[in-house]
Amino acid sequence: MKRGINERTILDKFAEDFCEVIEKHAKYIICSGFVAISHGRSRGTEDIDILIEKINFEKFKKLHEDLVKNNFECMQSKNSKIIFKEYLENGNSVRYTREKEYLPEMELKFAKDEIDSEQIKSRMKLPFTGLDLYFPRIEESIAFKEEYLKSQKDLEDARHLRIIYEDTLDENYIEKFKEKIRKVKLK
Amino acid sequence: MRDKTHNEQIERWARYVKENPNWKKEQKLFLDSQLINSKNKFKKILSLPDGENKLKRIRNLN
Repeated sequence: MKRGINERTILDKFAEDFCEVIEKHAKYIICSGFVAISHGRSRGTEDIDILIEKINFEKFKKLHEDLVKNNFECMQSKNSKIIFKEYLENGNSVRYTREKEYLPEMELKFAKDEIDSEQIKSRMKLPFTGLDLYFPRIEESIAFKEEYLKSQKDLEDARHLRIIYEDTLDENYIEKFKEKIRKVKLK
Repeated sequence: MRDKTHNEQIERWARYVKENPNWKKEQKLFLDSQLINSKNKFKKILSLPDGENKLKRIRNLN
């Protein structure tokens, strides 16, 4: 169920507009806090995290130019080469906002290991959110929050998601994914 | 560590969201007002002397 325009929050609209451009150039997933917020978690945020498949400079240049054409700007630089070479290629994120606005922000980074790539590969839309966005499988988001991010806020996000999906969660998958996180991200 | 009532509130709200299809309208008021409020405060900062620089420092953009 896609939500009606008047039900979408400022963050929803920002995320959908941004991702509509991204999807033309690279596969992506929305991860971290916005996963819980788009499932109704009652906490605020100013930024949304987006992970995109690693692409070469030529492709990134086109993506960046398309974002600019659609009135988004990168807070780190206007120059696609600097954004690519000094930030994304080194594993750092960059932040895009709507032109001349300081928030909300989209924090964009490249996939950097097999877990990131796997999550992008198995991405899905989550009907409960009513949003036209790709997310990781919900078990993966829960595993990340409980095993890797682990802040109070993340553990509360995971708790919220566990209640929303309590009838369908695959606990075995969560445990296996946590194991993978320990091997790849926490080694 | 947050106290027991905080955890109870997380659970109570998650159950409300799960059981009430209209949760989005309530969440929208809360989320949008946070952003609108921040944007208005940013406008005030921008109107100060050297406002743009101040805001960039606040946002860690310098």
